[in-house]
Amino acid sequence: METADLSHHISRRFNEDLERVRSKVLGMGGFVEQQLHKAITALVEGDSSLGESVALDDHQVNNMEIQIDEDCSKILATRAPAAGDLRVIVAIIKTITDLERIGDEGEKIGYIASRLATMERPADKYREIKHLGRVVSEMVHDALDAFARMDVDSALRVARQDRLVDEEYEAIQRQSITFMMEDPRTIRRALDVMWVVRALERIGDHAKNISEYVIYMVHGKDIRHTSLDDVERELRAAADAAPRGQA
Amino acid sequence: MQPATQAWWFAAGRLLVTVLVGCGAGWLLGNTWGGLAVALGLHLAWVLANLFRLEWWLRHRSYADPPNTGGVWGEIIAQIVRLHRRKRFHKQRFVQLMRQLQRSTAALPDGVVILNAQREIVWFNLMAARLLNLRRTADLGMRIENLLREPAVVRYLAGSDYSNPIVIRPANGDDSYLSLQVAPYGDGQLLLLVRDVSRQMRLEAVRRDFVANASHELRSPLTVVSGYLETLAQDPSLEGDLKGPVAEMRRQADRMTAIIRDLLELSRLEETNEIVGGAPVDVAAVISMLRKDVLARPSHPADVSVSVESDAQLIGDEPEIHSAFSNLVDNAAKYTPADGSLGIRWWVDAEGGHFSVTDTGIGIPPEHIPRLTERFYRVDAGRARATGGSGLGLAIVKHVLQRHGASLEVTSAQGVGSTFTAHFPPARVSVPVRTPVAAAG
Repeated sequence: METADLSHHISRRFNEDLERVRSKVLGMGGFVEQQLHKAITALVEGDSSLGESVALDDHQVNNMEIQIDEDCSKILATRAPAAGDLRVIVAIIKTITDLERIGDEGEKIGYIASRLATMERPADKYREIKHLGRVVSEMVHDALDAFARMDVDSALRVARQDRLVDEEYEAIQRQSITFMMEDPRTIRRALDVMWVVRALERIGDHAKNISEYVIYMVHGKDIRHTSLDDVERELRAAADAAPRGQA
Repeated sequence: MQPATQAWWFAAGRLLVTVLVGCGAGWLLGNTWGGLAVALGLHLAWVLANLFRLEWWLRHRSYADPPNTGGVWGEIIAQIVRLHRRKRFHKQRFVQLMRQLQRSTAALPDGVVILNAQREIVWFNLMAARLLNLRRTADLGMRIENLLREPAVVRYLAGSDYSNPIVIRPANGDDSYLSLQVAPYGDGQLLLLVRDVSRQMRLEAVRRDFVANASHELRSPLTVVSGYLETLAQDPSLEGDLKGPVAEMRRQADRMTAIIRDLLELSRLEETNEIVGGAPVDVAAVISMLRKDVLARPSHPADVSVSVESDAQLIGDEPEIHSAFSNLVDNAAKYTPADGSLGIRWWVDAEGGHFSVTDTGIGIPPEHIPRLTERFYRVDAGRARATGGSGLGLAIVKHVLQRHGASLEVTSAQGVGSTFTAHFPPARVSVPVRTPVAAAG
């Protein structure tokens, strides 16, 4: 088990510190997930006060990021971790940046949702956004689960799903352009909707980033800017060569 | 004689014989002590050899047969074998019992997760795995907060008040709800019970919608009836013996309107959760308004005293707070005779803000107090009709207070009077900063 690596440590205190920071990251992730869920609900149900509350709560995400960042610096300074532990810290520092960005995108959606709530609602009741929102929320959730479990397979699955989000983004974009051409009065709303879809697409990218950090954390491989098929083949080969997995 | 005792006698005899033989042989050879030493040395070597065999057997007990030595050594080995056998029997029984227990918990329709003091997952059953999306074996030893990341759950687990379950919506579920309840046991360990309450929540929603819709639909026809009754009552050509019935019909129509108004108010309160934030409400102003309302009643208690001991304000929703306080005061006024007294008090201490209404009315029998806030609950059905309440007043009070994080306390003595107190948490109380202008005015 890869997670077992964290528990064989000379210093138990160090271990506990690391575990605490990991829990904090996941706590932050939980909060961001909730923000995202609220923002999408606010938009789909036209609840302006919910949207506003999402926008107002974003500062909490920023505070969490700053705090975890400080904790990581402290661990780096006092414990000077090496190898796997260093990778965990590096992955955490990167993950919280992405989580913070997801929070920002959520704030944007919440803000736009509270504005859209006062406008006329489209006939489809934002069904596409609801669907895309669910896919993206699930990606964030699964990426964080993979982070908690140090689960490379799930991480790879999340990274793959990003393609689906991109396709969906394209489809909604095309649809919005059609609406705008049919009825120029909807342009204002369609532009706002495009902002939301864009934000969701960005969130998908951030979720993909997080899952890439999981793979980096576990295998010490940087898979950014590499095709996923190559990555998977390489990881398979590594797993076959050393069945017990490398530390 | 017992075989063990016999063996000991035999061993003692053997030692004696060895000593005697050694001494005898030595004496014959002219060195008694030397003979004794050789004999004892041989005996010691034999004992050592036996010890070695015993130790070797104990080390390789799982596959080697016990050494076949008679006498005391044989007895000791027999004892060990017996002990071992008994231990194995108990262990097997224990394992069987454990397995049965695990199997029965695994079959529970509710999810069960066992957490240790560090909130790490020790064990969970099949249902918990399904409801919480846990993975068998992989998730054991994982901190539960790492997987159940929702802020509400994290707060609940970090707190120490596990008396009420919390309801969450799982991340991947469309319309499902889970209720989580923690039961602490043993040495800081926790038992986490998970139930799928989607059905209950859906039923609850259906019920709420029904009440809201039904009330709404009843309102329009009732408005028409009330309107005509009003015209009818004022019609001079109305025959004398019809005046009484028409007036009664008007009264009852008004009551129905009041009930429907309260039902709609209640369903609105139920729709939303706790109010976050809110504006400061001037409690003193609300209380003076309530006092005027009481004095404006056709029959009211002779003595209505007001005591505002703090100029602290309450953070919340003003119309709701007004409605809750007015319901409390109305109730007190209704059940207090004209020569009684009614006291309204607002004070702030370390525990928060408190609003109380005390009356010298008829009082409430203790068995009714816990159920007072239920809808349409009547202590005395006959009298309630006479006073014309909707039966929903205290239910509204309860909901408003809940939405403000407050609680309602009722103390009452029959024939002496009752006190209804609303306790607001300190977070809901704001003490205004005194400006010199305000102090001068």
